[in-house]
Amino acid sequence: MNTDIYGNLFTAMAILAASAVVSPIVAGTKRKMAGWINFIMVTIAAIFLLHISYAVIFKAVPQGSTIINLGPLGIYFLVDSFSAFFIAIVSFMAVMSSFYSIEYMDHYHDYSLSGFYFNLPVFILGMIALLTVDDLTTGFTIAWQLMTIASYFLIKFEFREKNVVYGANKYLVLMELAWALIVGSTFLVSGSSMGDSLHLITENLGHTSPVMMYAVYGLILIGFGFKAGMFPFGQLWLPDAHSIAPSPISALLSGVMLKTGIYGIMRTFFWMIPHGEGVHFNGFLWGTIIASFGVVTLFVGTVQSMKQSDSKRLLAYSSIGQLGYIIFAIGASLVLFNSESQYMKLLALVVIIGALYHVINHAVFKGLLFLVSGSVLYTTGTKDLNKLGGLINFMPVTAIVAGIASLSIAGVPPFSGFASKWTIISSTVLAGSEVMFLVIFGIIALFTSAVTLSCYVKFFGMTFTSTGTEWTVKKDIKEVPFMMLAPKVVLTALCIIQGLLPFVYYNVIIDVFRNSSISTLTSAFRHAEFNNHIFSSMNGISFTVPGMAGAVSSAAVPVVILIVVSLAFVLAKLFKNSGGSEEREAPTWLCGYAELNNLNRYPDRSMFASLKGFFWWTGGNVKK
Amino acid sequence: MDIVYIVVNIVIFLAFAPLFEGIVRKLTAKVQSRQGPPIIQPYYDIIKLLGKENFIVDNWAFTLAPLMSFAAIISVICFVPLGYKANFLTQYADVITIIYLLTLGGVSILLGALSSKNTFAMMGASREMVTMIMVEPVLAMTFFVGAVKVKSLGIDSTIFSVMNTGYSWAVVLMMALYLMALQAFVGKQPFDIAEAEQEILEGPFIEYSGPNYALFKYSMMLKQMFYASLFVMVFVPFLYTGVYALDIVIQLCEIALVYVLIALVGATNPRLRIDQAVKYYAVLIVLALSAVGLSVYGI
Repeated sequence: MNTDIYGNLFTAMAILAASAVVSPIVAGTKRKMAGWINFIMVTIAAIFLLHISYAVIFKAVPQGSTIINLGPLGIYFLVDSFSAFFIAIVSFMAVMSSFYSIEYMDHYHDYSLSGFYFNLPVFILGMIALLTVDDLTTGFTIAWQLMTIASYFLIKFEFREKNVVYGANKYLVLMELAWALIVGSTFLVSGSSMGDSLHLITENLGHTSPVMMYAVYGLILIGFGFKAGMFPFGQLWLPDAHSIAPSPISALLSGVMLKTGIYGIMRTFFWMIPHGEGVHFNGFLWGTIIASFGVVTLFVGTVQSMKQSDSKRLLAYSSIGQLGYIIFAIGASLVLFNSESQYMKLLALVVIIGALYHVINHAVFKGLLFLVSGSVLYTTGTKDLNKLGGLINFMPVTAIVAGIASLSIAGVPPFSGFASKWTIISSTVLAGSEVMFLVIFGIIALFTSAVTLSCYVKFFGMTFTSTGTEWTVKKDIKEVPFMMLAPKVVLTALCIIQGLLPFVYYNVIIDVFRNSSISTLTSAFRHAEFNNHIFSSMNGISFTVPGMAGAVSSAAVPVVILIVVSLAFVLAKLFKNSGGSEEREAPTWLCGYAELNNLNRYPDRSMFASLKGFFWWTGGNVKK
Repeated sequence: MDIVYIVVNIVIFLAFAPLFEGIVRKLTAKVQSRQGPPIIQPYYDIIKLLGKENFIVDNWAFTLAPLMSFAAIISVICFVPLGYKANFLTQYADVITIIYLLTLGGVSILLGALSSKNTFAMMGASREMVTMIMVEPVLAMTFFVGAVKVKSLGIDSTIFSVMNTGYSWAVVLMMALYLMALQAFVGKQPFDIAEAEQEILEGPFIEYSGPNYALFKYSMMLKQMFYASLFVMVFVPFLYTGVYALDIVIQLCEIALVYVLIALVGATNPRLRIDQAVKYYAVLIVLALSAVGLSVYGI
């Protein structure tokens, strides 16, 4: 069966463009209707796109670069399984976010939704285009600008607030700077011109002088680093932009838009590598640079996240931290891939699988967390952790969802973040036996995952438990409507599935790499004998070292962990009931002002104060 | 047959953890010239608590927390190769899983503290979290010193790395660091900052009573025994005989010695402030990193 990949792609793009025309017209009078139209059209487009992804990843439909003529411009497109993987994530999260928007956006009574429903499909269209164009000049510019300008207006949605406009403008300026860096880098490649396909650029890179090559890769890394929130560039725009945008947009920005930066970095450093004699591409050096940036990003981003009092800012900084894990894994993989020993090369493949798995996981749980903070904002009207509290009784479903998302992002087994972080950390630590700095980086990553936990203990604790709020007395808060719960429940289910069945996703990711367009990484994946060394167990992951038969190097089987913990839970329950004691509910004694006194609350600035003080030098401090 | 080892693990830990706690209390009392409770007092405490009325706060998180805490530590114990025998479960997890499972236990304490709405509990939770963040790397690096040498993160191969490859400078350094961090691992003075009875009234557990509190207390004791036994298994493997029952008896004696040490240090040191403790942990982390570095170079 042959699927018309590019036909489907352009159909999907046309549907998104049509949605940008139709929904805004309706939005003037019927706000919810516009949301529904937008959701339905995005869903149809997503079905086309997911079909492409399915065909390219599983059926291995061979795809070359195709030139499409749009008037005088010829633009190269390339859909291989690697871009198909990202397309699938973008389309899925777009559907979730569009559905959530129907109800959520309705509560902005002072703002017209026409602009929103124009920009949302254009934004999605831009991301899809960015993932499919196969050049770094013409097509890239169109896609990047569609994505950037549409998202600029989405971020600026509440344009009457001064700080929103400021944050959005900063976002726009920095994204244009990133664009200029990336496009500018291609002009340093000797003999390249506008509209060259990546393949051609790669060939020309081979003839470029070594110094220029460093400049080209450096500029591209910084350019995409801006997008991916890499330290120190991410800190400049990301927390402002993500915290001021409407929540479904924050979910898209954080869940998928940042991943286009990851896509760019991976494409550049694994695919855009010239072969042949006399070519000086120092993979080990570039890997070291990227891994170092990654590890600094994950540490600094997460520690800064711990310091935040604004729930959406906390999530935004934490996005920087989580993207740091992915960047670190990419760099580590590049280092290992360019080392000598067979063992290291095998670990390189494991790390890169972990990186892509974290891409999916982060899209799901961070999207979910932004939707949760959106729901809390919707019902209570605040995102200040110092004013929230006690919502567990009023919004029970949102609380459970938030709890699972928090455990997932913190990497507690058996939820989703565990599997991907485990993969990244265990393989880098094992690689440490030959590349010393990787074990240190791995330990920092492990340390940081404990800090991540503290961020989310705070996020969950200060929002859903705790006390001292007016609604604990008035009891006037209700759970959000079903329309806003449904996408969250779906994403929560995914968090659990991805945590329990990492093996399934691993096989998909292996297919992604095997069927992607030709590169050294692809051929390494095609030749690796996974069955002998990696992933031997049923539902979990384990890998062994070649030459050490029988010794399992590392294993984690979330299903078994879940069973053990559940059995232990039953034991705990039996133990608890063994004394036959009676249970009675009693309010917490807080000196007679149990519900009223706001001073009973433990303020956010005191939470982890000693640690915040210890890490003052990482920046991102919150002024009193 | 491997499954029997898991049951043995659980039974031994459940049976002995309160006894060791009793030893610590008795010794502490003797050092401070007090009479002290009988050694089996912790058993009485737990039995008494199980029968008492259970006061709860009006949300599910409060009830869930103690159960989860107990379940997490029992799960960790299932994976431990007590008596130098890897059991059925050991192949399904590695040391990173163990570390994350221990974190789950910590999270439940925090969850319980936050949902109890008490300000002291929150203060305790904040301190508990800081302690967790800062001592977890030391525990991780205890494993990694072995892991980089045997190129495996498997529970048995990592824990038995000293037994199989002998002592190196890295191991000796790590052993010293483990002892320096031990009081923090087990939450005894000078690092009982999160509970600090005299200061914040048992912190995270302040609102807990009856069976819920018994669960928390028991899981704390089990956690302490886990850290003591880990020291014995990783760093003192030279009394290995090969006979399972004998090995367990020997290990229990060694664990008792570790507890004596814990009691003596605890009884003679005043509690540190949390910011002082953070600096202390930071030094430990840096030193532990250098131990791992030494181990990579095979020193």
